[in-house]
Formats: sequence, C-alpha cells, structure tokens
Amino acid sequence: MNDKKMTEKKNISRREFMGGAAAAMAFTIVPSHVLAQPPSEKLNVAAIGAGGMGAGNTRAAASAGANIVALCDVDWAKADESFKRFPKAKKYKDFRKMLDTEKSIEAVIVATPDHFHTVAAMAAMRRRKHVYVQKPLTRLVSEARALTEAARKYKVVSQMGNQGHSGNGVRDICEWIWAGVIGEVEEVHAWTNRPVWPQGIDRPKEVHDIPRTMDWDLWIGPAPMRPYNRCYAPFAWRGWWDFGGGALADMACHVLDPVFWALKLKYPTSVEASCTPVNKETYPLASIVHYQFPAREGMPAVKVHWYDGGMKPERPEVLEIGRKLNQASSNVLFMGSKGVLRCGEYGDNPQLLPYERMREFTKNKPAQTLTRIKTSHEGNWIEACKTGGKATSNFDYSGPLTEMVTMGNLAIRPENVGKKFLWDGENMRVTNDEGANDFVQMHYRDGWSLEM
Amino acid sequence: MIVLGTPYGESVGKSPPYNAGSVKCERGLFMKSWVKSDEERDKKITRRDFMGAAGAVAAFTIVPSHVLGGPRRVSPSEKLNIAGVGIGGRGAGDLDEVGSENIVALCDVDDRYAANVFKRYPNAKKYHDFRVMLDKEKNIDAVVIATPDHTHAVVAMNAIKRGKHVYCEKPLAHSIYEVRKLTEAARQAGVATQLGNQGQASEGTRLVSEFIRDGAIGQIREVHSWCNRPISPRGINRPKDTPPVPETLNWDLWLGPAPQRPYHPCYLPFSWRGWWDFGTGVLGDIGCHQFISIFRALKLGYPTSVEACSSGVNSETAPLASIIRYDFPAREGMPPVKLTWYDGGLMPARPEELEEGLRFGNADENLYIGDKGKMLGHRLLPESRSKEYGKPPRVLPRSPGHHKEWINACKGGEPAGSNFDLAGPLTEVVLLGNVALRMGQQLYEKGLKLYYDGPNMKVTNLPEANKYIRSEYREGWSL
Repeated sequence: MNDKKMTEKKNISRREFMGGAAAAMAFTIVPSHVLAQPPSEKLNVAAIGAGGMGAGNTRAAASAGANIVALCDVDWAKADESFKRFPKAKKYKDFRKMLDTEKSIEAVIVATPDHFHTVAAMAAMRRRKHVYVQKPLTRLVSEARALTEAARKYKVVSQMGNQGHSGNGVRDICEWIWAGVIGEVEEVHAWTNRPVWPQGIDRPKEVHDIPRTMDWDLWIGPAPMRPYNRCYAPFAWRGWWDFGGGALADMACHVLDPVFWALKLKYPTSVEASCTPVNKETYPLASIVHYQFPAREGMPAVKVHWYDGGMKPERPEVLEIGRKLNQASSNVLFMGSKGVLRCGEYGDNPQLLPYERMREFTKNKPAQTLTRIKTSHEGNWIEACKTGGKATSNFDYSGPLTEMVTMGNLAIRPENVGKKFLWDGENMRVTNDEGANDFVQMHYRDGWSLEM
Repeated sequence: MIVLGTPYGESVGKSPPYNAGSVKCERGLFMKSWVKSDEERDKKITRRDFMGAAGAVAAFTIVPSHVLGGPRRVSPSEKLNIAGVGIGGRGAGDLDEVGSENIVALCDVDDRYAANVFKRYPNAKKYHDFRVMLDKEKNIDAVVIATPDHTHAVVAMNAIKRGKHVYCEKPLAHSIYEVRKLTEAARQAGVATQLGNQGQASEGTRLVSEFIRDGAIGQIREVHSWCNRPISPRGINRPKDTPPVPETLNWDLWLGPAPQRPYHPCYLPFSWRGWWDFGTGVLGDIGCHQFISIFRALKLGYPTSVEACSSGVNSETAPLASIIRYDFPAREGMPPVKLTWYDGGLMPARPEELEEGLRFGNADENLYIGDKGKMLGHRLLPESRSKEYGKPPRVLPRSPGHHKEWINACKGGEPAGSNFDLAGPLTEVVLLGNVALRMGQQLYEKGLKLYYDGPNMKVTNLPEANKYIRSEYREGWSL
C-alpha cells in the first residue's frame, strides 16, 4: 500500500513537472538520479499480438522502462522471439483470459491484424488499461470512433502506433506551414509503393492445414469464419477486406499524419476513388483516392489525393530537372500558394522545393513552437502512462485520423467505385448513398463484441 | 513545330475540306524528305506535288491517271482489288467494311482462326505468308492489315513499297521508329493510307473540335483521357511450359520480326497485346482512338516531355494499370497543355461541374479542362450549360465513313482523315508513352520525366530510354 501511495505521489509530482510549457526542454537537463526509478515503479505492460510489429513494440516499451508481464498471441510460434526475450512474462493465446487473470497489467500493446484491434483494445480499456494500438487504429470508421470515445470515457492513456508522430519531421512541417512558409495549401498529393503483398485476387479454394501452433478461431476473432489458408496469416492479411485495410490503411496513418496535423484536418466532406479491378475479397492492386476537406481555422478548403500500388502524382514543375522526386517509399507533396513542401513516409526529411529555396530557408527557419519528443514512440506512451499525461498520438488525435483514412476505403469497395460520396463526419454517414453506410458499421461474428 | 492535329483548318466549310492551312502543316512535316525523294524518283510528278499548294485538292481529282506513279489508278466507278493480312480477328470486321470492293486475296498464319473468313470469301486466294501473296498476286491494289502490332510495319512496308494502298489497324506500328519509316515511305510512294482508328470519322470528334474552336470552354491547359482496359492478363512473366504448336498455325510467321520464343497459347489469338514483344499495352491499343479527338481539336504535335507510373511493369508484359503524363508546348495561339492518360480502371477525380447522380465511369472517356468550362467527351458540363449552349456552329466536313474515306482516297479522292501523315505522328506520341512506361521502376524511383526531341525521335535526358524507340528485328526480317 505504501508503495502504491508513493507511486501515486511521485506520479503527481512528475505530472505537475511535465505540465509546464517548456517541460521537455527542462526535462533533458534534469539530473538523471531524479528520474531513475526503482523496478517497482515500472509500468506493467502486456502485449496482444506478440510477433511481428508486436515484438518490436514490446521490446521498445521494455527499453523505455516497461515491465513486460504477459504476452498473448494466437500463434505461439510467431511469438517465440518475444517469449524468449521476456521469459518471465506469462503466455496466453486468448487475450480475454490474459486480461482477466493477470491483474497486475496496467497497460496493453495491441499489435494484432487490423480486424482484431478494436475488440482487444476495447477489452483492455474497459479494464482501465492504458493502450498502445498499432496503426491503423481500426479497420472501420465506427470502430475508430468507439475506441476514441472509450479512451476518453475510461480516462486511459492511448497511443496509436504511427511512430512518425513522435518524430521531428512532422513538427517541422507543422511549424513551417503554420508560419506561412508555403502560403495556403489547397492541394496535397501523397503516394506509397504499397501494397507489397497480393491484392486484387479472389478467395482461394484451397484449404491449408492450420499450423499446429495457431488457434485459427481466435485469429479470425470477430471476422466471419473462413477456412485457413496461408494467404491470410501470418503475413498477407492486409490485402483482405475482412482483416486489413489495404495499402491505404496500412500506410496513410503514417503518410497522411503530417498532412492531418499541419493542415488541422478532421472529417473530409467527400471521398471518391478509382482503382484496378476490385472484388469483395481483396483490395485492388492500385488505387487513387481523392478527399476533400472544408475550410478550417483560417485555412482554405483542401484536396488530398492519395496514390498507391505504384501510382504517383505528376512531377512538380518547381523540382529541378535531374533531381529525384521520391525521398522514401512513401512521399507527400504539399502544394502551397507560395511554394511546395515535400516529405518522406513519416513526415521525415521535410524540404521546400526547389532545392535552391530550401538552401535559403535553412538559414532562416521559423522558431520551434512544438515540443520535440526525445524518447521512442513507445517511450512517449510509457511516459504518459506513468505521468498521467497525454501521449502524442492519443486517440483524440489518431481516432479522427484513422476515421479519415479508413473512410477512404469506402470509395474503393467494389460496389462503390466511380461514385463520389458526400460525408457527414460527425455522424459517420454517407449522405448521398444510404447503401454505402453499411461498410462503416461493425458486423462481428457471434460471440464477439465491444463488451468483452 | 509539327502539327498533326486537324485536317480541316482555316478554310473550313469550303469544299474540298482539306484546306490551305492544313496542307501547310503537312508540308512542314514532310518537306525535307519529300524534296529528296522527288529527285530520287526522276522528278516524277506525284500526288504530293499537288498537295503542296493551296487549292491542290481541287486540282487533284482531275489529274489524268497516267501522270501518277506507283499505285494503279482506279476510277471511282471501278472496284479496288483488296487483300487482307491478318483476317481472323479485327481484320474480318475491316474486310466487311470494304466488302463492296473485290476481296482478291487473304493471308493469315492461323488457319483455324481465319477459317470462317476464308469461307466468307471463297474466291479470294489464300496465303500464309504475306510476302508470297504480294509477290504472286500482282492485281492487288490495296491491303488491309490487321495482324498483331509487331507485324504491322513489315507487312505495311512491303505493301507500300509495291505501291499498294494501305489500311492498317491501330496502332500504326509497334515502335516509334517503325511508325516514322512507314509514314515517310507512304508519302514517298504516294499511296492512300488510313489508320484503323475509326472513331476519327465520328460526329463526336468533330463536335469536340467545333466546341473548342467556338471557345465553348476557353483555353485548354489540361486534358484527361482514360480507359478501363486491359482485359487480358498483364504484369505476368513468360510461361515455362512449351505446349506443341497447333498444326493450323505457322508460329514462325506469327512471330515475324519478333525475337524467337516457344509457342504458347497465352500469346494468341487474343492476348498478345499485353506482351511487349508483340503488343503495345492498353495505351497502344486504345490511345490512337482516344487521342485523335484531342490531337485534332488542340492541334497537338510532339510533346516536350512524358512521365509514367504503373502498377508494375516488367520486361515481358505491360502493367495492369498505368498513368502516363505528357506535356505539350504552346501551339497556334493555344497555351501549353498537359495530357494525362489512365488505364486499368484508374481515372481522374470527378469534375465538380458534373451533376450529382450522373455517371462518371471508368470506361473510355476524355475530359477537357478549359479556363471557361469543362467538357466530357463532346458534352459540355454541367448538363444545364450543355443545354443552354446547344450545338456549336457546324463548320467541319463530316465523314462518309472511316473505311469509305480510305476507299475514296484509293480511287483518287482526298486523303483519308487518318492518313499516315496525321496518324503517324499521333501513333508516335502514343508509343512514346510506352517508352516512359517501360522505363518502369527507374522513372518511379527518380520521379523523372523523359524529355523528348520528337523530330529526331530521341529522349534527351535519359539515353537508356532510347532502346525502346526501335525494336530489334529477328534475323531475316527488316523494313
């Protein structure tokens, strides 16, 4: 009891300390002995989905001072690396059992396939656990809304795993755009080389043996049951409508993050798409999605164009002949009234075009007004969990970001291609096509719900 | 500045329709080689001499036949002797269209595929090898070519050199180099030519030009063109199995000038379009149809640059989807214009002027963006403006029909609307898109454009792209 009280007290004091505007600046000069914590103060973290990205997130959380107390995966072979790294962690296949048994868990990392995020994160939050959920936060708009509201309701610390949001690049971009460096932005182009997994294919007729280490029923979770095939798990689930969100949902939570933040976006007013042949099983091989956003906070209406599957926008005329356009496997161009700004996949390496302008600009950048994050993205979350602060990509931010991203997939549905959908974001409704609204809603398999 | 846009220029509405303005443009295009060839040909007076001066076309029809070199003079009341090469697929339809003439010979490398057409013309001589046919059948006046793209040039060139008129399916040829050679050769031989982009003869293409010349949408700086093909497999690799060649097929002749490879049913009769050695992808298949309206209305010539991206291109097949962007310079009082091509289901964003509820589909369409309005196909947007505007003044001559234009030209009438002097450069521009496309990942990674010197057929900034301007021929084959 004393320990707990002490922890609370310390947490309060740290929170107060962090509350100041210059907190982060001050933070770095605090002598290390002040921050050093006894092991008992470590945050007890569990992971749901412990292989793949979950392995990386768990390791990063541990290096940021988390105590990994339990690991859950429906495929223990996939989780083996994490199990070995954290031999003391309790092992589970069913997250419900883990959450009910391991009472010491304070925070949960969710790094399952997309279709599983919502039920797992909701179950954790209902038990007052802080959550770190891989991007995209959810598969569906309504799920993102539910998680956002739940994080608020249960007063837990939330973070979406779009780690670029902890980087300096997105902050530079915000500051430059807010300082008017490229004027008003009415057009943005973003593109990615994804998918790098199969899309535009039909459901296989072949049924493979379920790996002995895998609980297929649990892997399917809230999705409609189907026979196991290696084309879904462990890797390529992203391309399937029932499980993932295609190239858009995979990458746009990273790529459009600086766009969403710097341009103060929330709900789009419309979305439309064109794409290669698409069916009800998988996303298309390539697509172009056009979002329109209304004028906001002194900024004009803006069109955001997304290209994937090898498609990209026209080379901007201001880019000097011979210079490369791509900086990374995903890229963004902000087309401003006074110039063009580009950046890579996570808002990294922002540059004004042409290069000549950037050279001049480097000598005279606007002042930094946003606090830089010195820790990892996971560390930022752990820190917030301990201090009771807010993580940088908390659901109040990343929920609407995910809603924007995933509503784009609505326009790629096979029945919807070629239509322009008018969107009432507040009410999560397509206003000009009643039938399209079904895609936004959750349809969970019997036995699965948001109350688990 | 080369203009291949419109065969009807400033003196529209007069008869004949091919006016001084357009003739001047044509001369600009071919003058040099023509003068040289004229000397080579003992200063024979050719059809081209007449085409060179204003009012030439009027004079043209009364030239006595004995003055003309090359093709046999056929009067309008006589019938042409026509041969078909590549008759199983599209060729059958083309032959139907010229069926009022004598179909004297038919050539196809695939007996089974051509069987029905052979039956339809029992009096026509049957051949597998077009060279043998052209050598033996001396009475052939004109040839209709509807082989796969990779054999267009060798067949057409053989015919042209023998003074035969040529109707050739689109795209005119498989490579830019071949197109250029055919265009020059047809001009020198003075034969009547027509590319198989039959849409050029339509009312719609004329309406597009008439709306634009009437200023209905102002100056145009942006055009989008799209088609939801392909309908055959793309983005795939060469098959490893080698099934036997059907007894009814002469595989070696089907390959023609293309590099040797084992037979496989994935190439023919239908799916060759996706294979780079044989076809030219969706753009090559459809571009000559869709660009013709744009080229005429906007008087386009060669672009200054082109860039492309795709869903993945390899050395074997065209991609499943692509976007190709051309930059054209200012022309004849028109500003520079960007032309963007989309295929595989991709298309531009819906124009805001298009009313809610009206379909904006991914099938073939062109969207013209002017500074005073937009036009989808030949429909002004929105519908209310279209109704208010009505039809533009009808100033351009209408076509008697695409194939009929060619028949008339073969019989001494005016050049067909898509004769090679116009269709050649059009096809070159279409095929230039494939040059950019085939640069594939290299262009994507660098995000570069190809800068293009049209008259010299050269990419100036990335010389390695030039290998796609001209295809290598197999031994034993040449132009």
